[in-house]
Amino acid sequence: MSGFMTDAPLYLAGLVTTITVSGSGIAIAILFGLALALALRSRLRSLSLLVRAYVEFARGAPLALVLFLLYYGGPQFGLLLSPYVAGIVSLGLYGGGPFAEIFRAGLNAVPKGEREAAEMLGLTQGQCFLYVELPQALRLTLPPSVGQAIALLKESAVLSVITLGELTKVAGAISSITFAIVTPYLTIALLYWALVEILSRFGRILERRFAVKGF
Amino acid sequence: MTLPALISVRGLEKRFGDKTVLRDIDLDIHSGDVTCIIGPSGSGKSTLLRSLAFLDAYDAGEVHIFGKMLGWRDTPLGRARAGNRELTKACSPVGMVFQHFHLWPHMSVLNNVTLALRLVHGFSRLAADETGREMLGKVGLAAFADRRPESLSGGQKQRVAIARALAVKPKVMLFDEPTSALDPELVGEVLSVMKALAAEGMTMVIITHEMGFAAHAANRVVFMDGGRIIEEGSPQALFATPKSDRLSQFLQTWRERAL
Repeated sequence: MSGFMTDAPLYLAGLVTTITVSGSGIAIAILFGLALALALRSRLRSLSLLVRAYVEFARGAPLALVLFLLYYGGPQFGLLLSPYVAGIVSLGLYGGGPFAEIFRAGLNAVPKGEREAAEMLGLTQGQCFLYVELPQALRLTLPPSVGQAIALLKESAVLSVITLGELTKVAGAISSITFAIVTPYLTIALLYWALVEILSRFGRILERRFAVKGF
Repeated sequence: MTLPALISVRGLEKRFGDKTVLRDIDLDIHSGDVTCIIGPSGSGKSTLLRSLAFLDAYDAGEVHIFGKMLGWRDTPLGRARAGNRELTKACSPVGMVFQHFHLWPHMSVLNNVTLALRLVHGFSRLAADETGREMLGKVGLAAFADRRPESLSGGQKQRVAIARALAVKPKVMLFDEPTSALDPELVGEVLSVMKALAAEGMTMVIITHEMGFAAHAANRVVFMDGGRIIEEGSPQALFATPKSDRLSQFLQTWRERAL
């Protein structure tokens, strides 16, 4: 006997897994993307070319491919990861590419003259980055960053194929036991939608809080 | 007896690709000089000024600030780019004001003025704010400390930019067309701040199209054309009795437009 109420703990567990895995994956993707963006802007040509190649790969490859390489291909190189960790790392590696492009564009949008003004006042490149460029780039890239985070959250559904018990896996499991299709998938659709809505509201609050007008 | 020049330029040359935009530039800026650089667009004025702060790296010749070569180091193997730290140090006596202000839009006016004091000069927040407010007072904007740059007029923005540059106590101020981006009625407030600075004895190099300002505030005017210095001298000499045809032409055009 199965019903929505008896399945509630399963959905809840799936929801928690989806939130923690995509939350961690997005956080890694953002930090990784920022590092990649810096490398892309580096004056060391070999470094920027190498990173450019990686970014193109990450943008061109489907998440499932990154995941399979890491989860099934990893053991060949002694890299044994749990589905949970493999899921987080794949999202981070995969999401780093688009985030790198977003941050690169954001950093480039800060007028060069503002950096020159900082240099003339004796700020080091690091200080200029931290106090002048990064705060503005983060504000500017907030809308595309939220969009990218939402995309990653939804793509975390792919992680169900390596048996990670996130929302999509839960819906599949329930439907294979109860032969119900519509109810479990509509249920998780609602849950995904709620998560997306929360993320985009959060983004709008940040946007209002950090708006830089006339820019 | 003449004091050594604060900035000394010898044989300066600058190319962008295969286009030479500055050639054979010799120029001395002495302490207390107010030098206005005039000339048509594309004559190399801005590149020259930016070279004095190594914002544009010159290709040949030398720029010395307080006797120290700017941006390059002579090594047995030829010239090598000076390190960032060395460059920053050599540039530290130089303040710069840009045509388009380049205030940092995400910070308050006060933080624009105090950031370098805190990060570079080790001021506490309290001491930096005090100096910052004093500098804003100097440009008549004490009441605007907590505003964002976006809420200011162009003239006010430029005055904030001047206060920001002055806060770190430069020995010479470079102005790159400080009033060219301003509505005509806002030009005066910026020029009067600059006149007050000149009256205090600040050494200034100013690119300007304001010939009236050049005539009254400068003790020396430099006329550039085609990447060279064509004529220089006192404003009286240059404006009243130009020696070169190019300068006469330039002044003639300016007079016709001013009518």
